Amino acid sequence: MKLHEYQGKEILRQFGVNVQEGKVARTPDEVRQIARDYGQPVVVKAQVHVGGRGKAGGVKFSPTEDKAFENGEKILGMDIKGLTVNKVLVTKAVDIDAGVEYYIGMIVDRNVQSFTLMASAEGGMEIEEVAAATPEKIIHHRVDPVTGLRPYEAREVAIKAGFKGNLNKIADMMVKLSRAALERDAVLVEINPLFVDESGTPIALDTKFEIDDNAMYRHQDLADWRELEAEHPLEIEASKYGFAYVKLDDGNVGVLGNGAGIVMTSLDVVNRAGAKPANFLDIGGGAKAEIVYNAVKLVSKDTDVKAIFINIFGGITRADEVAKGVIQALNEGILTKPVRMRIAGTAEEEAKALLAEVNSPLIQMFPNMFDAAAEAAKEANK
Amino acid sequence: MGILVNKDSKVIVQGMTGREGASHSRAMKEFGTQVVAGVTPGKGGTDFEGWPVFNSVAEAKKATGANVSIIFVPPAGAADAVLEAAHAGVPLIILITEGVPTVDMMKAVQEVKALDAENRAAGGEGIRLIGGNCPGLVTNGEAKVGIMPNKIYTNPGRIGLISRSGTLTYEAAKLLNDAGMGTSTTVGIGGDPVIGTTFADVLPLFEADPDTDAVVVIGEIGGADEEAAAEYIAANMKKPVVAFISGRSAPAGKRMGHAGAIIMGNVGTPESKLAAFKAANVPVADTMPEIIDLVKAALGQ
Repeated sequence: MKLHEYQGKEILRQFGVNVQEGKVARTPDEVRQIARDYGQPVVVKAQVHVGGRGKAGGVKFSPTEDKAFENGEKILGMDIKGLTVNKVLVTKAVDIDAGVEYYIGMIVDRNVQSFTLMASAEGGMEIEEVAAATPEKIIHHRVDPVTGLRPYEAREVAIKAGFKGNLNKIADMMVKLSRAALERDAVLVEINPLFVDESGTPIALDTKFEIDDNAMYRHQDLADWRELEAEHPLEIEASKYGFAYVKLDDGNVGVLGNGAGIVMTSLDVVNRAGAKPANFLDIGGGAKAEIVYNAVKLVSKDTDVKAIFINIFGGITRADEVAKGVIQALNEGILTKPVRMRIAGTAEEEAKALLAEVNSPLIQMFPNMFDAAAEAAKEANK
Repeated sequence: MGILVNKDSKVIVQGMTGREGASHSRAMKEFGTQVVAGVTPGKGGTDFEGWPVFNSVAEAKKATGANVSIIFVPPAGAADAVLEAAHAGVPLIILITEGVPTVDMMKAVQEVKALDAENRAAGGEGIRLIGGNCPGLVTNGEAKVGIMPNKIYTNPGRIGLISRSGTLTYEAAKLLNDAGMGTSTTVGIGGDPVIGTTFADVLPLFEADPDTDAVVVIGEIGGADEEAAAEYIAANMKKPVVAFISGRSAPAGKRMGHAGAIIMGNVGTPESKLAAFKAANVPVADTMPEIIDLVKAALGQ
């Protein structure tokens, strides 16, 4: 689960991280009131789950109350990469020129089978850009998942990264960041920029925080923070059914299969066939007809989808259950787009028999995934 | 013979009396695996479809001499189940469970590695964890400790198979089976970001296995396991290796189902994996059926 900046900051605050003061506003008047209370320049920041808010005009420096109101009007209701801004965070402005901006982050790193602490003196920029252009400017350090990060390790990282300021305080912030990541089951936590003021004191100006969905059961206190309106409607519906679903840009073929690997490969095959996948949908293992029916319903709702490619290799999943789900969607009039499918494995013959009985031109079965994808691509590109 | 499991492997099932545990215990038995007992805390002393059930792994191991454990325990208790098996001294632990919290896996994997080192230092055979979120392993014609469909393993052969993806394991095993080549051992290592055994851990076992002539590696985007495998192959492998990479058209930054299958910045891209295999002289199949042609070519057939 991705958290908003203000939510991530709230967690970091609970772990004792020095976080820049700010309040959430839902109307321009609230923005003005907060700016008035702070009595100094503020920054109005869109709270949406996408990167690049600043570039999209979602973060604005506001020297006066009136300007804050005006910026609140501009940003609230704004569309950033398909998501509407319903809330802004209004923070006290910091004089960036009177200090330095750094980056620190903790990320699940499969290569070290633990978290890696990353630190860079190139703060304030997208860390991916720094990693791509000048990877040597990012210091990596494996964090022991049992002991957590020790202060001496944090100081070593800070020194290697070339951080200036109160090294003990900066290292302390790193230690607290690592505790937050481990105890709150983060996938990723970043403080960027980590601002170090003239006195050498570190302050977290912005943060990214994402929690491991598999561990949400032990963070029920955060469950209310999940804001369905801030996610894509089809992704919300998919999460209700327990699907792994990702909407992809510029696609015209709906893709579903049983298992992450086969769906990824199905995306590759659709691309190769000259069309673009519109989504990634993994129905999981052992799906019954109802799950498949819901999956077809979901993909059919996507207006970008012109044809559907279903790719199943049944182990636990039974091909006849998949066929039944598709047929139910057809019978109920939900399925109006051509479905081209390849179903192999458990109960394949039963599936073929069921589809032969229905005999609809909308549903066609193919012996291999390439032919099915090619036909789906042809239909989608018509 | 193959690697890791064979007809002599004695298997206990942690979570045998649950829905998945029960159905796969039956399927493993049908395959010919020596399933010797189940472990379900609270049901010790009972009988489940002819298998004795124990309260703990230690009791089950003591009573049956089991040397493999397969785990079907729900996510919240899965990492603990791994540690129970490891501390009981089970040398091979296979975690099937999907959705285990990553932090739990980090701690469990680290502890299993420490126990493995301790066990080896004391002259033992070590302790190995495979998975989580994996389909398990099969030595064709001998034993299956996993959830793969039995019928794709009708053709025992001499090709080793290692895969990060469950379904693509089936796909590749079936292709090899249907092509008449067949598999020696199939190892599904799992698609999670933190797993017990990587490609590079399995490759030396196949290199040393007299019953394996070539190895197929089914990788995917995300992480750098394939790159590490390529490095190992270039430096150590004499047997031919053929690869396939799934998710080559996946967009960066989107998590594609497998928590591990995500491109972060410039790490885990298909390009870096293709380049690594190229540098190691490992041919990479563009499509899965092409794997067969590449294996044939590598074996001079």
